[in-house]
Amino acid sequence: MTLTPVERDERSAPFFDAAARGVLLLRYSPSSGMWSEPDALVCGHTGAADLEWRESGGRGHLVSWTVLPGRDAPGTVIGLVELAEGPWLTVRLTDAEGPEVAAGMPVRIGFARPEGGEAMPVGLLHA
Amino acid sequence: MSARRAAIAGLGMTELGKVYGRTPAEFALEAVSRAAADAGLAPADIDGLLVNPGIGNDTDLRLQATLRLRDLRLLTTVQGFGSSAGQMVQIAAMAIEAGMADVVACVYADAPLKQGAGSGAAYSGAGRAMRGLGSLPAAAGLKTAPARYAMAARRHMETYGTTSEQLGAIAVAARQWAALNPLAQMREPITLEDHQSSRRIADPLRLLDCCLVSNGAIAVIVTSADRAAALAQPPVHVWGWGQAHPGYPAHRGSDFGLVTGAARSGADALKMAGVGVAEIDIRQIYDCFTFTTLITLEDYGFCAKGEGGEFAASGALAPGGSHPTNTGGGQLSSYYMWGMTPLSEAVIQARGQGGARQVAKRDLIMVSGNGGVLDFHSTLILSPHPKAR
Repeated sequence: MTLTPVERDERSAPFFDAAARGVLLLRYSPSSGMWSEPDALVCGHTGAADLEWRESGGRGHLVSWTVLPGRDAPGTVIGLVELAEGPWLTVRLTDAEGPEVAAGMPVRIGFARPEGGEAMPVGLLHA
Repeated sequence: MSARRAAIAGLGMTELGKVYGRTPAEFALEAVSRAAADAGLAPADIDGLLVNPGIGNDTDLRLQATLRLRDLRLLTTVQGFGSSAGQMVQIAAMAIEAGMADVVACVYADAPLKQGAGSGAAYSGAGRAMRGLGSLPAAAGLKTAPARYAMAARRHMETYGTTSEQLGAIAVAARQWAALNPLAQMREPITLEDHQSSRRIADPLRLLDCCLVSNGAIAVIVTSADRAAALAQPPVHVWGWGQAHPGYPAHRGSDFGLVTGAARSGADALKMAGVGVAEIDIRQIYDCFTFTTLITLEDYGFCAKGEGGEFAASGALAPGGSHPTNTGGGQLSSYYMWGMTPLSEAVIQARGQGGARQVAKRDLIMVSGNGGVLDFHSTLILSPHPKAR
């Protein structure tokens, strides 16, 4: 299954600009010192409204995953990744086939750009 | 003055399943009319209407006009997804207890199945525009309910060692009950091997881990216990209830896949009812997937956290088991009317009208509703007996 192209909107523009440069941005609250997922509107811990974009190290580990069987191709593996900063991201695990996957495996965030869409984060288990 | 308590006095069900060519409003009209007739009431006796419009979301307050209901004292839509049926009974019970309304019809109606399209298409969200950060999970491929529940189930498996075979035991038990239920859509017996060889939908979930999708409507009539006692059917008394909506953070520390709102909602409902979980005779658990049954039973306290798989594999849930559960076949095998599936079977069992599948001891029945991806939860405790003060 190919990645579905995503269009940007005003709020996501900085995220996708960074993604095009191979950088993962998260939301960070200076008042709480805590990180939230990219789609957060307020700090996930304190509710503070002072979120700003900040670069993630792009590393984490796998919390869970699913494999969607393909008609002809091997299955599509989608992972729930806990980044080292704390937030969870749902990403395609582009170099995984399924049987080798286990919770806790280290994941590095990479990027892919489907035709007609923005660059988007993907997960790499074997990089 | 003693409190006015609520009871379910009527149940109305349309033909359910692959029923085409009828709108949700038409289904709703039939279900409410049947529920009123079942109770021995005229539609004109209804003074409250709660409408849950399903995933199609196209039934609304205009249903009052469709039903020709005049001078209602309570009217609104309720959208708690799979927790809606429980929520409607709770709102109706509070309105009854407050004296705000006397006869409240609660109806779920939907027609997501289209002729010639698969069940999966009804809930896939296909064609939704992919725009902005909120669309990233779907763009990565997480588009369907099975895929999202698979993510929860896999986390439970990795944490507690739950297996696909244990989930299969839940599917087999549901089908054993369905075989005894003339209302069930899927009555052919299945084995664990059938489960294990059924098509993979979203690993670890297979076809036989997934519920049906059905068209139709179910309604219940909620009134005061005193009034219900004088009506046509044995009253089903509402002893307790709860809701819990965990608001899982997308962050380290989230209980997603491990603990659901059932833990809080169930405890609150039992407390209100003044009973312990060990006193519950019958469980009607929202089973959109086998995994939902498993985690709800754990969270309600019928077994310890992490032991739901062994509990199910022991045969406890099946006919003749120690913990009769989803005695009509559940959403896995009977019909998928969101929370009206467990609620309707609870009413049937409480009345003693379950025929070949009737459970002998039926003093207390626990009913769950679950919506989103384990995001929204409601609980009811029902009994054929009036609640002691």
